[in-house]
Amino acid sequence: MPRRDVDDDDDLEPEEDEQVYQDEEEDYDDYKSGRKRSRSQFIDDAAEEDEDEEEEEEDDDDDEDYGGGGRKAGAPKPKKRTSGSHFFDLEAQVDSDEDDEEDEGEDDFIVDNGADLPDDEDARRLHRRPLLPREDDQEDVEALERSIQARYARSSHTEYDEETTDVEQQALLPSVRDPKLWMVKCAIGHEREVAVCLMQKCIDRGPELQIRSAIALDHLKNYVYIEADKEAHVREACKGMRNIFTGSKILLVPIKEMTDVLAVESKAIELSRDTWVRMKIGTYKGDLAKVVDVDNVRQRVTVKLIPRIDLQALANKLEGREVPKKKTFTPPPRFMNVDEAREMHIRVERRRDPMTGDYFENINGMMFKDGFLYKTVSMKSISTQNIQPSFDELEKFRQPGENGDGDMASLSTLFANRKKGHFMKGDRVIVVKGDLKNLKGVVEKVEEDTVHIKPYDEGLPKTLAVSEKELCKYFEPGNHVKVVSGATEGATGMVVTVERHLVNIVSDTTKEVIQVFSDNVVESSEVTSGKTRIGDYELHDLVLLDNMSFGVIIRVENEAFQVLKGVHERPEVALVRLREIKYKIERKNSAQDRSRNIIAVKDVVKVLDGPSKGKQGPVEHIFKGILFIYDRHHLEHAGFICAKSQACMVVGGRANGDRNGDPTSRFALKPPNRVPPSPGRMPRGGHYNSGGRFGGGRGHNSLIGTSVRVRLGRYKGCKGIVKDVKGQTVRVELEAQMKDVTVNRDEIVDTITTATPSREQQRYGAGNETPMHPSRTPMHPYMTPMRDSGATPIHDGMRTPMRDRAWNPYTPMSPPRDNWEDGNPASWGTSPQYQPGSPPSRTYEAPTPGSGWANTPSGNYSEAGTPRDSSPAYANAPSPYLPSTPGGQPPMTPSSAYLPGTPGGQPMTPGGGGLDMMSPVVGGDHEGPWFLPNILVNLRRSADETSLGVVRELLPDGSCRVALGSSGNGETVTVFPNEVEAVVPRKSDKIKIMGGAYRGSTGKLIGIDGTDGIVKLDDTLDVKILDMVMLAKQA
Amino acid sequence: MFFHIVLERNMQLHPRHFGRDLRPKLVSKLMKDVEGTCSGRHGFIVAITGVENVGNGLIRDGTGFVTFPVKYQCVVFRPFKGEILEAVVTMVNKMGFFAEAGPVQIFVSNHLIPDDMEFQSGDMPNYTTSDGSVKIQKESEVRLKIIGTRVDATEIFCIGTIKDDFLGVISDPTS
Repeated sequence: MPRRDVDDDDDLEPEEDEQVYQDEEEDYDDYKSGRKRSRSQFIDDAAEEDEDEEEEEEDDDDDEDYGGGGRKAGAPKPKKRTSGSHFFDLEAQVDSDEDDEEDEGEDDFIVDNGADLPDDEDARRLHRRPLLPREDDQEDVEALERSIQARYARSSHTEYDEETTDVEQQALLPSVRDPKLWMVKCAIGHEREVAVCLMQKCIDRGPELQIRSAIALDHLKNYVYIEADKEAHVREACKGMRNIFTGSKILLVPIKEMTDVLAVESKAIELSRDTWVRMKIGTYKGDLAKVVDVDNVRQRVTVKLIPRIDLQALANKLEGREVPKKKTFTPPPRFMNVDEAREMHIRVERRRDPMTGDYFENINGMMFKDGFLYKTVSMKSISTQNIQPSFDELEKFRQPGENGDGDMASLSTLFANRKKGHFMKGDRVIVVKGDLKNLKGVVEKVEEDTVHIKPYDEGLPKTLAVSEKELCKYFEPGNHVKVVSGATEGATGMVVTVERHLVNIVSDTTKEVIQVFSDNVVESSEVTSGKTRIGDYELHDLVLLDNMSFGVIIRVENEAFQVLKGVHERPEVALVRLREIKYKIERKNSAQDRSRNIIAVKDVVKVLDGPSKGKQGPVEHIFKGILFIYDRHHLEHAGFICAKSQACMVVGGRANGDRNGDPTSRFALKPPNRVPPSPGRMPRGGHYNSGGRFGGGRGHNSLIGTSVRVRLGRYKGCKGIVKDVKGQTVRVELEAQMKDVTVNRDEIVDTITTATPSREQQRYGAGNETPMHPSRTPMHPYMTPMRDSGATPIHDGMRTPMRDRAWNPYTPMSPPRDNWEDGNPASWGTSPQYQPGSPPSRTYEAPTPGSGWANTPSGNYSEAGTPRDSSPAYANAPSPYLPSTPGGQPPMTPSSAYLPGTPGGQPMTPGGGGLDMMSPVVGGDHEGPWFLPNILVNLRRSADETSLGVVRELLPDGSCRVALGSSGNGETVTVFPNEVEAVVPRKSDKIKIMGGAYRGSTGKLIGIDGTDGIVKLDDTLDVKILDMVMLAKQA
Repeated sequence: MFFHIVLERNMQLHPRHFGRDLRPKLVSKLMKDVEGTCSGRHGFIVAITGVENVGNGLIRDGTGFVTFPVKYQCVVFRPFKGEILEAVVTMVNKMGFFAEAGPVQIFVSNHLIPDDMEFQSGDMPNYTTSDGSVKIQKESEVRLKIIGTRVDATEIFCIGTIKDDFLGVISDPTS
């Protein structure tokens, strides 16, 4: 009381004066304390304040003593007593008056029975104020009190001093007849000021102000409560005051909530030492902290934190260097290393805390101890509810060198925040706090916060009621438990050790030790296998592991899989973590059983050999000849059995006919078969008519078995056979390296020949396209030779025919089907073309001497024109070329479709003559005479016998009809191109050009220059220099 | 702990076995079926020592199989909590070690290994005392006390401790 101190200085005044003065002054005091009382009724610190008041009063007395001449500590106080008693009657009377008034006015006013309502008070202050408190100090007062109490059963001041019991307080709850609480808006931050102003106003205005009290709550901003009977009173009181807004609505606090308004403070969580809290604001926001000291009065808490201090920045700052402002950067939590700090020239003071006697390192005003930062913060800046420190955090808080017991022990404080109702009947618990600490028992009954436990120890009452907060679940090593919350939720296992509130569990499935809070664990006999998926891997997936072994996931645990490995000798289960799995094997493989039946996934097989002999079940996975069979009668390994395919037998033998529809599995198994099915099936299935080269679904299969070259990437240049197609990737079995590699489909090119069959089918399968060719083709033949003969034939001829022959032993099967089996017009039209292209036709036509040639061009041609992979819209791309293909022409005449069957019998299509000249080109690799009619050739019928002849006709298969004799008068024979040789012209001979842009032209050889011949063309009279190889003597 | 008990089982026999040596067939099938299995109640059936009684067969409708109730004597092995066992260490890792006592797998967590034994990683992971006098590694024989058991349909898993008097290594493969 500041004013008091001033008064003390004036103590030398005469007693009388002083008395008056003091009266007044005490009036003020009392008034103030009255206010306090009115508050204190609701607030815990009532007693304290009363004491204060008493002290003040005593001070007053002392003042008086002093005024009387003697102010000594042990001074007797007769005078005071007299002065006290002097006032007694008066006071008693006044008091009774007051009581009267109060009884009348506030009979039911619970909150503040003795409370001096400002208005009343004002009226009476001159008389009673000073005396009332004083009587408390005086022994004589007892008599008076008795008399008062006799008169008024309910004494007002007992209320101040005694702790009211619950029951009494119940009776004091507000009712409808009590004054109401009104909530009035005021300026933020001026709540207290408003309340004080209201008080002042009461003092000044006296009873006319009809409010009873004003309350400003620290935690409630923007509002004050005013106690009054009517809203109008509140308005009246607030009228003309600053910072208070009566303009807005004045809210009535419902009776039920009235107590809450003032009860809030008592609801505050009691913070105790060692409680875990989290920081709410600042650099340490969200950080875990441990309470080391609580100052309830100042509402401040000292917490222990792991410092987040940037030493460098601190050093800079201390040395006054310019610090770049980086607000966003929060230093990571790290223990303070004092030596490090010293090294950076940061001043470290070592101080002893006067209170605790502990030594702290003081750095720039921050206190450190053992690397922790000790920080005093406001209670408001920490959150205390539902703090669930993670293990990591707790681990960090373990002090270096300390075994952590101390910290772990404080885990019990965690339980203060735990959610309710986690104890259940039958739980084994241990008391962790209080007198009954370490008492073990079984939960009998749970009520709100109280748990009734039945202690194990004898000689104790049957059940004990213990606060939930003092209890902790208790387990014994060997208990089988389940984790019900936390990171390892769902895990089950056996308790290995119990360290206070921590339980170490050996997981049933991973066989690893998990540490959990005992709170998060319940006893359970269950063994979990609830989870079926981690990451991309699911229960029963076939996976490839780190060490290239593979297996089936037979159990999924929280952080690991159990994998039944693909070893057939004995079941081998490995515990595999997610990162140890390379990938999931999704490929659909197949295998052969003992009797070479094909086993595909889902086939039911029986194991004939090995450890799991006799088991039977559907095949779930096949990989590298190992089958994973699921036998539901097999209890181990989730029912999975691993067996070698050779040790199994498909149930029902060859019951796999339906699987033929799945070429993939078949091909993978029997590579030799891979080619024929595609051409064969093509027309039948009619599913290639999508036209797109890699058009959907089945279309892919056509690629399988084709020979390709890798165009890009690591395996660039390698050739191989496509084994499998999946999505955008293909698996290619490399010719050279004896291994399968996966390459992007964009990165492969068909190597010409082997690819043909598959390509063909697609092309022709595009049925709607084919019909167009015939109509267009006739026009082209004339163009073609010019354009193509130069480039393509050579190019192609180099490799194709040979390859064709050499490579496709399987092809013979296809053509017949192709041509004859199908009534599909599209294929009719196309088949002839197809035939020559596909090697099979050759075999078919074998009788024809020249077949080797005739059949190739079509295939080669289009091949050369369309690199297979470069044009996804392949179906369209080839069309321009198609007509130009000599082989493409026969189809025009429907009859020709059948021709292949009649060896050598083909009548040439009209335009074909000229065109056909071209086809031999293909034979170029047999020192290629690109024969034309009417040239002179040498026939080599036998080793050394040659005869001259004149080419009369070229057959589409590449052979030619040659009239024997230099003038072509002799008999006509059909010969293979390799049996004939153009007669090399000499100077001035009439020649015919067999290749190049001028193919078919005639001319005169006017000179020879090395390998070049100088030719004068007949029709244009141009002189050209051409390779001698292309020149043939005209007959 | 081993017990010699009498159990009963219904055996299904294929008709092709009917004949003179039906009984031997039945017994051999019984052995094959039963030995090495595990039940929660009795533990592992280690060996069949004799057949007490073969009841009357009952033909199963539809299949032709015949069911015989067979009473047989067998030796069973069931670990109990608190039991002291001798076991061979099969695997050592930082969590502890696994040991086997016959068909029973026992895990001894590092919490249950005396504090003076420290884990040493390396080729041959082991737990060694600070003076190196005692070493637990693969193939070591240890005496341990079972503190918990978990019985599945097909296996019994135990947790053991060697953190007690008279427990620990009883023979070292290296010495």
